[in-house]
Amino acid sequence: MSVFQNASKLWIISAFTLLGLIMTAMLVGSVSTPIDALWDVNSPYHNVIWQLRFPRIINALLVGACLSLAGLLIQNLVKNPLADPYLLGVSGGAAAVQLLVIVTGLSLSPNILFLFGFAGSLVAALLLLKLSYYGELRPNKITLNGVVLAFGFAALISFVLATASGQQVKSMMFWLMGDLSFARFNWLMPILLFIMMFLLMNKARALDLLARGDLFAQKSGVNTRQLNLQSFVMTALLTSMAVAQAGTIGFVGLIIPHMVRMLVGYQHKHLIPMSMTIGAGFLLLADTLARTVMNPIQLPVGIFTALIGVPVFLWLNRKL
Amino acid sequence: MMKLNQVSIFQEDNSLINALDVEFKPGEFWGIIGKNGVGKSTLLNVLAGMSKHYTGEILLNGQPLKQINHRIRAQRISYLLQEQEPCLAFLVEEAIGMGRFPWLTSKLEDEQITIDVMSRCQINHLYGRSILKLSGGERRKVEIGTCLAQQSDHLLLDEPLNHLDVVYQKHIMQVFKNYSQKRSVIMVCHDIQAVKQYCSHVLMLLGNDCYLSGTSATILTKTNLNKLFDDTSQ
Repeated sequence: MSVFQNASKLWIISAFTLLGLIMTAMLVGSVSTPIDALWDVNSPYHNVIWQLRFPRIINALLVGACLSLAGLLIQNLVKNPLADPYLLGVSGGAAAVQLLVIVTGLSLSPNILFLFGFAGSLVAALLLLKLSYYGELRPNKITLNGVVLAFGFAALISFVLATASGQQVKSMMFWLMGDLSFARFNWLMPILLFIMMFLLMNKARALDLLARGDLFAQKSGVNTRQLNLQSFVMTALLTSMAVAQAGTIGFVGLIIPHMVRMLVGYQHKHLIPMSMTIGAGFLLLADTLARTVMNPIQLPVGIFTALIGVPVFLWLNRKL
Repeated sequence: MMKLNQVSIFQEDNSLINALDVEFKPGEFWGIIGKNGVGKSTLLNVLAGMSKHYTGEILLNGQPLKQINHRIRAQRISYLLQEQEPCLAFLVEEAIGMGRFPWLTSKLEDEQITIDVMSRCQINHLYGRSILKLSGGERRKVEIGTCLAQQSDHLLLDEPLNHLDVVYQKHIMQVFKNYSQKRSVIMVCHDIQAVKQYCSHVLMLLGNDCYLSGTSATILTKTNLNKLFDDTSQ
Protein backbone atom coordinates (compact mmCIF):
# COMPACT_ATOMS: atom_id res chain seq x y z
CA MET A 1 0.00 0.00 0.00
CA SER A 2 1.22 3.47 -0.75
CA VAL A 3 1.08 6.55 1.43
CA PHE A 4 -0.19 8.74 -1.37
CA GLN A 5 -3.32 7.22 -2.87
CA ASN A 6 -3.55 10.39 -4.83
CA ALA A 7 -0.47 10.72 -7.02
CA SER A 8 -1.13 14.32 -7.99
CA LYS A 9 -0.69 15.47 -4.40
CA LEU A 10 2.76 13.90 -4.26
CA TRP A 11 3.60 15.45 -7.63
CA ILE A 12 2.82 18.94 -6.36
CA ILE A 13 4.84 18.40 -3.20
CA SER A 14 7.88 17.03 -5.05
CA ALA A 15 7.78 19.68 -7.75
CA PHE A 16 7.87 22.47 -5.15
CA THR A 17 10.56 20.72 -3.12
CA LEU A 18 12.67 20.29 -6.24
CA LEU A 19 12.30 23.96 -7.17
CA GLY A 20 13.19 24.98 -3.64
CA LEU A 21 16.25 22.75 -3.69
CA ILE A 22 17.43 24.18 -7.00
CA MET A 23 17.02 27.76 -5.73
CA THR A 24 18.91 26.96 -2.53
CA ALA A 25 21.68 25.18 -4.40
CA MET A 26 22.12 28.25 -6.64
CA LEU A 27 22.52 30.61 -3.71
CA VAL A 28 24.71 28.68 -1.26
CA GLY A 29 28.30 27.55 -1.62
CA SER A 30 31.79 28.68 -0.68
CA VAL A 31 30.29 32.19 -0.88
CA SER A 32 26.63 32.80 -0.14
CA THR A 33 25.08 35.00 -2.76
CA PRO A 34 22.12 37.38 -2.48
CA ILE A 35 19.04 36.35 -4.40
CA ASP A 36 19.14 39.29 -6.81
CA ALA A 37 22.44 38.01 -8.21
CA LEU A 38 20.34 35.51 -10.12
CA TRP A 39 19.10 38.10 -12.59
CA ASP A 40 21.39 41.09 -11.92
CA VAL A 41 24.02 40.90 -14.69
CA ASN A 42 26.23 43.47 -12.92
CA SER A 43 26.41 41.53 -9.68
CA PRO A 44 29.84 39.98 -9.03
CA TYR A 45 28.12 36.71 -8.21
CA HIS A 46 26.12 36.44 -11.41
CA ASN A 47 28.84 34.45 -13.15
CA VAL A 48 29.51 32.27 -10.10
CA ILE A 49 25.89 31.17 -10.13
CA TRP A 50 25.37 30.67 -13.86
CA GLN A 51 28.87 29.51 -14.89
CA LEU A 52 29.86 27.37 -11.92
CA ARG A 53 26.88 26.34 -9.86
CA PHE A 54 24.20 25.97 -12.49
CA PRO A 55 25.98 23.35 -14.65
CA ARG A 56 26.83 21.37 -11.54
CA ILE A 57 23.20 21.47 -10.39
CA ILE A 58 22.02 20.24 -13.78
CA ASN A 59 24.56 17.44 -13.62
CA ALA A 60 23.45 16.40 -10.14
CA LEU A 61 19.82 16.29 -11.29
CA LEU A 62 20.62 14.26 -14.40
CA VAL A 63 22.94 11.80 -12.67
CA GLY A 64 20.40 11.30 -9.87
CA ALA A 65 17.62 10.67 -12.37
CA CYS A 66 19.76 8.24 -14.40
CA LEU A 67 20.82 6.23 -11.37
CA SER A 68 17.38 5.85 -9.86
CA LEU A 69 15.77 4.95 -13.18
CA ALA A 70 18.55 2.38 -13.73
CA GLY A 71 17.94 1.00 -10.23
CA LEU A 72 14.22 0.67 -10.90
CA LEU A 73 14.91 -1.28 -14.11
CA ILE A 74 17.53 -3.62 -12.72
CA GLN A 75 15.46 -4.51 -9.65
CA ASN A 76 12.55 -5.36 -11.91
CA LEU A 77 14.82 -7.36 -14.22
CA VAL A 78 16.56 -9.59 -11.67
CA LYS A 79 13.64 -9.57 -9.17
CA ASN A 80 16.03 -8.92 -6.32
CA PRO A 81 15.45 -6.05 -3.89
CA LEU A 82 19.18 -5.79 -3.19
CA ALA A 83 20.06 -5.20 -6.82
CA ASP A 84 21.47 -1.82 -7.76
CA PRO A 85 22.68 -0.43 -11.08
CA TYR A 86 26.30 -1.30 -10.26
CA LEU A 87 25.33 -4.99 -10.32
CA LEU A 88 25.95 -4.87 -14.04
CA GLY A 89 29.65 -4.34 -13.37
CA VAL A 90 29.52 -1.05 -15.25
CA SER A 91 30.89 0.92 -12.31
CA GLY A 92 33.81 -1.47 -11.95
CA GLY A 93 34.50 -1.37 -15.67
CA ALA A 94 34.31 2.40 -15.85
CA ALA A 95 36.33 2.90 -12.67
CA ALA A 96 39.06 0.48 -13.72
CA VAL A 97 39.48 2.13 -17.11
CA GLN A 98 39.28 5.70 -15.81
CA LEU A 99 41.72 5.00 -12.98
CA LEU A 100 44.15 3.43 -15.43
CA VAL A 101 43.88 6.56 -17.54
CA ILE A 102 44.50 8.80 -14.52
CA VAL A 103 47.46 6.76 -13.32
CA THR A 104 49.15 6.62 -16.69
CA GLY A 105 48.63 10.36 -17.00
CA LEU A 106 47.48 10.00 -20.59
CA SER A 107 45.00 12.82 -20.42
CA LEU A 108 43.04 14.65 -17.78
CA SER A 109 40.54 16.39 -20.02
CA PRO A 110 37.10 15.64 -18.56
CA ASN A 111 35.59 14.91 -21.95
CA ILE A 112 38.21 12.31 -22.78
CA LEU A 113 37.86 10.80 -19.32
CA PHE A 114 34.08 10.65 -19.81
CA LEU A 115 34.51 8.78 -23.07
CA PHE A 116 36.98 6.31 -21.55
CA GLY A 117 34.65 5.64 -18.62
CA PHE A 118 31.66 5.25 -20.89
CA ALA A 119 33.56 2.78 -23.06
CA GLY A 120 34.86 0.85 -20.05
CA SER A 121 31.44 0.46 -18.54
CA LEU A 122 29.86 -0.64 -21.79
CA VAL A 123 32.56 -3.27 -22.25
CA ALA A 124 31.89 -4.55 -18.73
CA ALA A 125 28.13 -4.68 -19.40
CA LEU A 126 28.67 -6.52 -22.67
CA LEU A 127 30.85 -9.06 -20.88
CA LEU A 128 28.08 -9.67 -18.33
CA LEU A 129 25.48 -9.86 -21.10
CA LYS A 130 27.57 -12.48 -22.90
CA LEU A 131 27.97 -14.50 -19.71
CA SER A 132 24.26 -14.41 -18.83
CA TYR A 133 22.87 -15.04 -22.30
CA TYR A 134 21.73 -18.50 -23.31
CA GLY A 135 19.62 -17.92 -26.39
CA GLU A 136 17.83 -15.42 -24.19
CA LEU A 137 18.82 -13.30 -21.21
CA ARG A 138 18.67 -15.25 -17.91
CA PRO A 139 17.90 -12.75 -15.14
CA ASN A 140 18.90 -15.19 -12.39
CA LYS A 141 22.35 -15.57 -13.94
CA ILE A 142 22.89 -11.80 -14.03
CA THR A 143 22.91 -11.50 -10.25
CA LEU A 144 25.61 -14.04 -9.57
CA ASN A 145 27.75 -13.24 -12.61
CA GLY A 146 27.46 -9.52 -11.85
CA VAL A 147 28.56 -9.92 -8.24
CA VAL A 148 31.52 -12.08 -9.20
CA LEU A 149 32.60 -9.72 -11.99
CA ALA A 150 32.42 -6.82 -9.53
CA PHE A 151 34.96 -8.60 -7.32
CA GLY A 152 37.27 -8.94 -10.33
CA PHE A 153 37.04 -5.23 -11.08
CA ALA A 154 37.51 -4.37 -7.40
CA ALA A 155 40.78 -6.30 -7.43
CA LEU A 156 41.90 -4.39 -10.52
CA ILE A 157 40.99 -1.09 -8.86
CA SER A 158 42.83 -2.02 -5.67
CA PHE A 159 45.86 -2.88 -7.75
CA VAL A 160 45.82 0.53 -9.42
CA LEU A 161 45.33 2.29 -6.08
CA ALA A 162 48.14 0.35 -4.43
CA THR A 163 50.60 1.34 -7.12
CA ALA A 164 49.51 4.98 -7.53
CA SER A 165 51.22 7.98 -5.93
CA GLY A 166 49.74 9.79 -2.91
CA GLN A 167 48.27 12.76 -4.77
CA GLN A 168 46.74 10.50 -7.40
CA VAL A 169 45.21 8.26 -4.73
CA LYS A 170 43.34 11.20 -3.25
CA SER A 171 41.73 12.26 -6.51
CA MET A 172 40.94 8.62 -7.25
CA MET A 173 39.27 8.09 -3.88
CA PHE A 174 37.08 11.07 -4.59
CA TRP A 175 36.19 9.56 -7.88
CA LEU A 176 35.45 6.14 -6.42
CA MET A 177 33.07 7.66 -3.88
CA GLY A 178 31.41 9.75 -6.52
CA ASP A 179 32.07 13.39 -7.21
CA LEU A 180 30.22 15.97 -9.25
CA SER A 181 32.79 18.75 -9.06
CA PHE A 182 34.66 17.81 -12.24
CA ALA A 183 31.57 17.05 -14.25
CA ARG A 184 31.01 19.17 -17.34
CA PHE A 185 27.65 19.43 -19.01
CA ASN A 186 27.24 17.18 -22.00
CA TRP A 187 24.21 16.89 -24.19
CA LEU A 188 24.34 13.11 -24.51
CA MET A 189 22.96 12.58 -21.04
CA PRO A 190 19.67 14.54 -21.10
CA ILE A 191 18.90 13.42 -24.64
CA LEU A 192 19.43 9.72 -23.94
CA LEU A 193 17.71 9.96 -20.57
CA PHE A 194 14.55 11.47 -21.99
CA ILE A 195 14.46 9.15 -24.98
CA MET A 196 14.64 6.22 -22.59
CA MET A 197 12.01 7.67 -20.30
CA PHE A 198 9.70 8.03 -23.28
CA LEU A 199 10.35 4.44 -24.43
CA LEU A 200 9.84 3.08 -20.92
CA MET A 201 6.62 5.02 -20.33
CA ASN A 202 5.28 3.30 -23.44
CA LYS A 203 6.19 -0.04 -21.88
CA ALA A 204 4.95 0.84 -18.39
CA ARG A 205 2.19 -1.77 -18.38
CA ALA A 206 4.44 -4.52 -19.70
CA LEU A 207 6.94 -3.68 -16.95
CA ASP A 208 4.16 -4.03 -14.36
CA LEU A 209 3.43 -7.52 -15.65
CA LEU A 210 7.12 -8.37 -15.58
CA ALA A 211 7.15 -7.41 -11.90
CA ARG A 212 4.56 -10.12 -11.35
CA GLY A 213 6.93 -12.75 -12.71
CA ASP A 214 8.59 -13.61 -16.01
CA LEU A 215 6.25 -16.54 -16.69
CA PHE A 216 3.21 -14.48 -15.81
CA ALA A 217 4.27 -11.70 -18.17
CA GLN A 218 5.01 -14.14 -20.95
CA LYS A 219 1.68 -15.94 -20.72
CA SER A 220 -0.17 -12.62 -20.58
CA GLY A 221 1.25 -11.50 -23.91
CA VAL A 222 4.48 -9.67 -23.05
CA ASN A 223 7.52 -10.39 -25.20
CA THR A 224 9.66 -10.99 -22.11
CA ARG A 225 12.72 -11.95 -24.10
CA GLN A 226 12.76 -8.59 -25.79
CA LEU A 227 11.75 -6.59 -22.71
CA ASN A 228 14.41 -8.17 -20.49
CA LEU A 229 17.07 -7.43 -23.07
CA GLN A 230 15.85 -3.85 -23.43
CA SER A 231 15.86 -3.39 -19.65
CA PHE A 232 19.43 -4.65 -19.51
CA VAL A 233 20.68 -2.40 -22.29
CA MET A 234 18.93 0.67 -20.89
CA THR A 235 20.25 0.05 -17.38
CA ALA A 236 23.76 -0.33 -18.77
CA LEU A 237 23.51 2.89 -20.78
CA LEU A 238 22.00 4.94 -17.96
CA THR A 239 24.52 3.72 -15.40
CA SER A 240 27.45 4.13 -17.76
CA MET A 241 26.50 7.74 -18.36
CA ALA A 242 26.15 8.45 -14.67
CA VAL A 243 29.41 6.73 -13.76
CA ALA A 244 31.40 8.31 -16.57
CA GLN A 245 30.07 11.70 -15.52
CA ALA A 246 30.37 11.56 -11.75
CA GLY A 247 32.03 8.37 -10.56
CA THR A 248 30.36 5.65 -8.56
CA ILE A 249 27.83 7.47 -6.44
CA GLY A 250 26.41 4.78 -4.22
CA PHE A 251 23.01 4.27 -2.68
CA VAL A 252 20.85 6.36 -5.06
CA GLY A 253 20.07 3.50 -7.42
CA LEU A 254 19.42 1.07 -4.59
CA ILE A 255 17.28 3.10 -2.26
CA ILE A 256 15.31 5.60 -4.39
CA PRO A 257 13.27 2.95 -6.26
CA HIS A 258 12.31 1.32 -2.98
CA MET A 259 11.39 4.65 -1.47
CA VAL A 260 9.28 5.59 -4.47
CA ARG A 261 7.47 2.24 -4.42
CA MET A 262 6.52 2.94 -0.82
CA LEU A 263 5.21 6.35 -1.85
CA VAL A 264 3.31 5.68 -5.10
CA GLY A 265 2.74 1.92 -5.24
CA TYR A 266 3.91 -0.49 -7.90
CA GLN A 267 2.66 0.83 -11.23
CA HIS A 268 5.46 1.86 -13.55
CA LYS A 269 3.49 4.73 -15.07
CA HIS A 270 3.96 6.43 -11.67
CA LEU A 271 7.24 4.76 -10.69
CA ILE A 272 9.23 5.88 -13.73
CA PRO A 273 8.69 9.66 -13.58
CA MET A 274 8.60 9.73 -9.79
CA SER A 275 11.88 7.80 -9.41
CA MET A 276 13.56 10.22 -11.77
CA THR A 277 12.21 13.27 -9.93
CA ILE A 278 12.99 12.08 -6.43
CA GLY A 279 16.36 10.65 -7.48
CA ALA A 280 17.29 13.99 -9.06
CA GLY A 281 16.24 15.97 -6.01
CA PHE A 282 17.95 13.58 -3.63
CA LEU A 283 21.31 13.77 -5.38
CA LEU A 284 21.09 17.55 -5.65
CA LEU A 285 20.48 17.77 -1.90
CA ALA A 286 23.42 15.46 -1.18
CA ASP A 287 25.72 17.38 -3.52
CA THR A 288 24.72 20.74 -2.09
CA LEU A 289 25.54 19.46 1.39
CA ALA A 290 28.81 17.95 0.14
CA ARG A 291 30.07 21.32 -1.06
CA THR A 292 28.76 23.46 1.81
CA VAL A 293 28.94 21.50 5.08
CA MET A 294 32.71 21.73 5.54
CA ASN A 295 33.14 24.86 3.47
CA PRO A 296 35.60 25.48 1.82
CA ILE A 297 36.50 21.79 1.82
CA GLN A 298 34.49 19.76 -0.67
CA LEU A 299 33.47 16.28 0.43
CA PRO A 300 32.59 13.33 -1.83
CA VAL A 301 28.86 13.31 -2.49
CA GLY A 302 28.70 9.55 -1.79
CA ILE A 303 29.06 10.28 1.93
CA PHE A 304 25.88 12.31 1.96
CA THR A 305 23.75 10.04 -0.23
CA ALA A 306 24.25 7.38 2.43
CA LEU A 307 24.03 9.74 5.42
CA ILE A 308 20.65 11.11 4.31
CA GLY A 309 19.40 7.99 2.60
CA VAL A 310 19.91 5.48 5.40
CA PRO A 311 17.80 7.18 8.09
CA VAL A 312 15.08 8.30 5.68
CA PHE A 313 14.79 4.81 4.24
CA LEU A 314 14.78 3.09 7.63
CA TRP A 315 12.10 5.49 8.86
CA LEU A 316 9.91 4.89 5.81
CA ASN A 317 10.39 1.13 6.03
CA ARG A 318 9.35 1.16 9.66
CA LYS A 319 6.36 3.37 9.13
CA LEU A 320 4.83 1.43 6.23
CA MET B 1 -10.28 -23.53 -32.36
CA MET B 2 -7.02 -25.28 -31.62
CA LYS B 3 -5.84 -28.22 -33.68
CA LEU B 4 -2.85 -30.44 -32.96
CA ASN B 5 -1.28 -32.37 -35.85
CA GLN B 6 1.18 -35.10 -34.90
CA VAL B 7 2.57 -33.11 -31.98
CA SER B 8 5.52 -34.70 -30.20
CA ILE B 9 7.12 -33.23 -27.12
CA PHE B 10 10.60 -34.04 -25.86
CA GLN B 11 12.22 -33.25 -22.57
CA GLU B 12 15.94 -33.82 -22.27
CA ASP B 13 15.91 -36.33 -25.15
CA ASN B 14 13.08 -38.37 -23.61
CA SER B 15 9.91 -38.45 -25.61
CA LEU B 16 7.07 -37.34 -23.35
CA ILE B 17 4.27 -37.21 -25.85
CA ASN B 18 4.38 -38.77 -29.28
CA ALA B 19 2.30 -37.94 -32.35
CA LEU B 20 -0.70 -36.43 -30.58
CA ASP B 21 -3.69 -35.54 -32.76
CA VAL B 22 -6.53 -33.69 -31.09
CA GLU B 23 -8.83 -30.79 -31.74
CA PHE B 24 -10.22 -28.38 -29.12
CA LYS B 25 -13.39 -26.66 -30.30
CA PRO B 26 -15.51 -23.87 -28.81
CA GLY B 27 -18.19 -25.23 -26.54
CA GLU B 28 -15.96 -28.04 -25.28
CA PHE B 29 -14.61 -28.45 -21.75
CA TRP B 30 -11.60 -30.74 -21.87
CA GLY B 31 -10.06 -32.55 -18.94
CA ILE B 32 -6.49 -33.82 -19.26
CA ILE B 33 -5.78 -36.65 -16.85
CA GLY B 34 -2.83 -38.90 -16.23
CA LYS B 35 -0.29 -39.89 -13.64
CA ASN B 36 2.40 -37.59 -12.21
CA GLY B 37 5.24 -36.89 -14.62
CA VAL B 38 3.38 -38.11 -17.67
CA GLY B 39 3.65 -34.67 -19.30
CA LYS B 40 0.32 -32.99 -18.59
CA SER B 41 1.78 -29.65 -17.53
CA THR B 42 4.44 -29.80 -20.23
CA LEU B 43 1.71 -30.30 -22.82
CA LEU B 44 -0.27 -27.37 -21.40
CA ASN B 45 2.87 -25.21 -21.50
CA VAL B 46 3.29 -26.04 -25.18
CA LEU B 47 -0.39 -25.34 -25.93
CA ALA B 48 -0.05 -21.98 -24.18
CA GLY B 49 2.76 -21.04 -26.58
CA MET B 50 5.27 -20.77 -23.73
CA SER B 51 7.54 -23.53 -24.99
CA LYS B 52 8.60 -24.18 -28.54
CA HIS B 53 10.27 -27.53 -27.88
CA TYR B 54 7.93 -29.65 -29.94
CA THR B 55 7.62 -31.07 -33.40
CA GLY B 56 4.47 -31.33 -35.45
CA GLU B 57 1.95 -28.56 -35.85
CA ILE B 58 -0.34 -26.60 -33.55
CA LEU B 59 -2.87 -24.54 -35.44
CA LEU B 60 -4.83 -21.73 -33.81
CA ASN B 61 -7.79 -20.89 -36.05
CA GLY B 62 -5.75 -22.29 -38.93
CA GLN B 63 -2.60 -20.28 -38.13
CA PRO B 64 0.57 -21.97 -36.78
CA LEU B 65 0.98 -21.11 -33.08
CA LYS B 66 4.71 -20.50 -33.48
CA GLN B 67 4.07 -17.64 -35.92
CA ILE B 68 1.56 -15.73 -33.81
CA ASN B 69 2.92 -12.69 -31.97
CA HIS B 70 2.77 -12.49 -28.19
CA ARG B 71 -0.09 -10.05 -27.84
CA ILE B 72 -2.40 -11.80 -30.31
CA ARG B 73 -1.52 -15.17 -28.77
CA ALA B 74 -2.59 -13.86 -25.36
CA GLN B 75 -5.87 -12.61 -26.84
CA ARG B 76 -6.56 -16.19 -27.96
CA ILE B 77 -5.09 -18.19 -25.08
CA SER B 78 -5.08 -17.56 -21.34
CA TYR B 79 -3.17 -19.85 -19.03
CA LEU B 80 -3.45 -20.49 -15.30
CA LEU B 81 0.00 -21.48 -14.03
CA GLN B 82 0.28 -24.30 -11.53
CA GLU B 83 2.31 -22.23 -9.04
CA GLN B 84 2.55 -18.47 -8.55
CA GLU B 85 5.88 -16.75 -8.88
CA PRO B 86 7.15 -14.41 -6.16
CA CYS B 87 6.18 -10.85 -7.00
CA LEU B 88 5.55 -7.33 -5.72
CA ALA B 89 2.58 -6.30 -3.59
CA PHE B 90 0.08 -5.30 -6.26
CA LEU B 91 -3.51 -4.62 -5.24
CA VAL B 92 -6.06 -7.32 -6.09
CA GLU B 93 -7.84 -5.19 -8.69
CA GLU B 94 -4.53 -4.13 -10.27
CA ALA B 95 -3.52 -7.79 -10.48
CA ILE B 96 -6.77 -8.87 -12.14
CA GLY B 97 -6.66 -5.85 -14.46
CA MET B 98 -3.32 -7.16 -15.76
CA GLY B 99 -5.31 -9.83 -17.60
CA ARG B 100 -6.50 -7.01 -19.89
CA PHE B 101 -2.94 -6.31 -21.10
CA PRO B 102 -3.23 -7.92 -24.57
CA TRP B 103 -6.44 -6.11 -25.49
CA LEU B 104 -5.54 -2.39 -25.54
CA THR B 105 -9.12 -1.58 -24.58
CA SER B 106 -10.16 1.57 -22.71
CA LYS B 107 -9.43 1.94 -19.01
CA LEU B 108 -13.14 2.18 -18.28
CA GLU B 109 -13.92 -1.07 -20.06
CA ASP B 110 -11.02 -2.81 -18.31
CA GLU B 111 -12.29 -1.65 -14.93
CA GLN B 112 -15.80 -2.84 -15.77
CA ILE B 113 -14.49 -6.28 -16.72
CA THR B 114 -12.34 -6.45 -13.58
CA ILE B 115 -15.35 -5.73 -11.36
CA ASP B 116 -17.44 -8.26 -13.25
CA VAL B 117 -14.78 -10.96 -12.92
CA MET B 118 -14.37 -10.26 -9.20
CA SER B 119 -18.05 -10.81 -8.59
CA ARG B 120 -18.09 -13.97 -10.73
CA CYS B 121 -15.18 -15.31 -8.67
CA GLN B 122 -16.84 -14.12 -5.45
CA ILE B 123 -13.87 -12.04 -4.38
CA ASN B 124 -15.41 -8.56 -4.26
CA HIS B 125 -14.47 -8.34 -0.60
CA LEU B 126 -10.77 -8.52 -1.53
CA TYR B 127 -10.92 -5.17 -3.36
CA GLY B 128 -8.07 -2.88 -2.25
CA ARG B 129 -6.06 -5.64 -0.56
CA SER B 130 -2.44 -6.40 -1.41
CA ILE B 131 -2.03 -9.78 -3.14
CA LEU B 132 0.89 -10.63 -0.86
CA LYS B 133 -1.37 -10.47 2.20
CA LEU B 134 -3.90 -13.02 0.93
CA SER B 135 -4.19 -16.66 1.95
CA GLY B 136 -3.09 -19.35 -0.50
CA GLY B 137 -6.66 -20.01 -1.62
CA GLU B 138 -7.53 -16.32 -1.98
CA ARG B 139 -4.40 -15.77 -4.05
CA ARG B 140 -5.42 -18.69 -6.27
CA LYS B 141 -8.81 -17.05 -6.84
CA VAL B 142 -7.06 -13.84 -7.92
CA GLU B 143 -4.93 -15.79 -10.41
CA ILE B 144 -8.05 -17.47 -11.81
CA GLY B 145 -9.75 -14.07 -12.03
CA THR B 146 -6.77 -12.70 -13.97
CA CYS B 147 -7.20 -15.48 -16.54
CA LEU B 148 -10.96 -14.88 -16.82
CA ALA B 149 -10.40 -11.14 -17.35
CA GLN B 150 -8.22 -12.03 -20.33
CA GLN B 151 -11.41 -13.22 -22.13
CA SER B 152 -9.53 -15.45 -24.54
CA ASP B 153 -11.07 -18.14 -26.75
CA HIS B 154 -9.03 -20.83 -25.02
CA LEU B 155 -8.64 -21.08 -21.26
CA LEU B 156 -5.87 -23.43 -20.14
CA LEU B 157 -5.96 -24.45 -16.48
CA ASP B 158 -3.16 -26.27 -14.69
CA GLU B 159 -4.68 -27.91 -11.61
CA PRO B 160 -7.08 -25.03 -10.90
CA LEU B 161 -8.50 -26.64 -7.76
CA ASN B 162 -5.22 -26.51 -5.79
CA HIS B 163 -5.55 -24.61 -2.48
CA LEU B 164 -9.33 -24.18 -2.88
CA ASP B 165 -11.92 -25.38 -0.37
CA VAL B 166 -14.58 -27.90 -1.41
CA VAL B 167 -17.47 -25.44 -1.62
CA TYR B 168 -15.49 -23.03 -3.74
CA GLN B 169 -14.24 -25.86 -5.97
CA LYS B 170 -17.85 -26.55 -6.96
CA HIS B 171 -18.52 -22.87 -7.58
CA ILE B 172 -15.46 -22.28 -9.74
CA MET B 173 -15.99 -25.46 -11.78
CA GLN B 174 -19.44 -24.13 -12.65
CA VAL B 175 -17.83 -20.82 -13.67
CA PHE B 176 -15.46 -22.72 -16.00
CA LYS B 177 -18.38 -24.74 -17.34
CA ASN B 178 -20.24 -21.53 -18.21
CA TYR B 179 -17.08 -20.10 -19.77
CA SER B 180 -16.81 -23.16 -22.00
CA GLN B 181 -20.23 -22.61 -23.56
CA LYS B 182 -18.84 -20.29 -26.23
CA ARG B 183 -15.11 -20.91 -25.82
CA SER B 184 -12.93 -23.89 -25.07
CA VAL B 185 -11.56 -24.74 -21.65
CA ILE B 186 -8.68 -27.21 -21.29
CA MET B 187 -7.97 -28.32 -17.75
CA VAL B 188 -5.28 -30.51 -16.20
CA CYS B 189 -6.85 -32.06 -13.11
CA HIS B 190 -6.26 -34.91 -10.68
CA ASP B 191 -9.82 -34.94 -9.40
CA ILE B 192 -11.44 -37.65 -11.58
CA GLN B 193 -14.85 -37.01 -10.02
CA ALA B 194 -14.76 -33.34 -11.00
CA VAL B 195 -13.65 -34.23 -14.51
CA LYS B 196 -16.48 -36.74 -14.79
CA GLN B 197 -19.03 -34.23 -13.55
CA TYR B 198 -18.05 -31.13 -15.53
CA CYS B 199 -15.90 -32.02 -18.55
CA SER B 200 -17.47 -32.79 -21.90
CA HIS B 201 -14.27 -34.28 -23.33
CA VAL B 202 -11.26 -36.06 -21.88
CA LEU B 203 -7.67 -36.53 -23.00
CA MET B 204 -6.15 -39.41 -21.07
CA LEU B 205 -2.35 -39.65 -21.13
CA LEU B 206 -1.30 -43.19 -20.34
CA GLY B 207 2.46 -42.82 -20.69
CA ASN B 208 4.68 -44.75 -23.11
CA ASP B 209 3.36 -42.56 -25.91
CA CYS B 210 -0.20 -43.87 -25.44
CA TYR B 211 -3.18 -41.59 -25.17
CA LEU B 212 -6.94 -41.71 -25.51
CA SER B 213 -9.18 -38.82 -26.43
CA GLY B 214 -12.90 -38.38 -26.89
CA THR B 215 -16.05 -37.49 -25.03
CA SER B 216 -16.08 -38.06 -21.27
CA ALA B 217 -18.60 -40.91 -21.57
CA THR B 218 -16.45 -42.90 -23.98
CA ILE B 219 -13.11 -42.34 -22.25
CA LEU B 220 -13.94 -42.49 -18.54
CA THR B 221 -14.87 -46.14 -18.55
CA LYS B 222 -13.90 -48.48 -15.77
CA THR B 223 -11.46 -50.39 -18.01
CA ASN B 224 -9.69 -47.22 -19.08
CA LEU B 225 -9.45 -45.87 -15.53
CA ASN B 226 -8.07 -49.18 -14.34
CA LYS B 227 -5.50 -49.05 -17.12
CA LEU B 228 -4.57 -45.49 -16.10
CA PHE B 229 -3.96 -46.26 -12.46
CA ASP B 230 -2.76 -49.83 -12.74
CA ASP B 231 0.85 -49.97 -11.56
CA THR B 232 1.53 -53.30 -13.20
CA SER B 233 1.17 -51.80 -16.67
CA GLN B 234 4.57 -50.16 -16.26
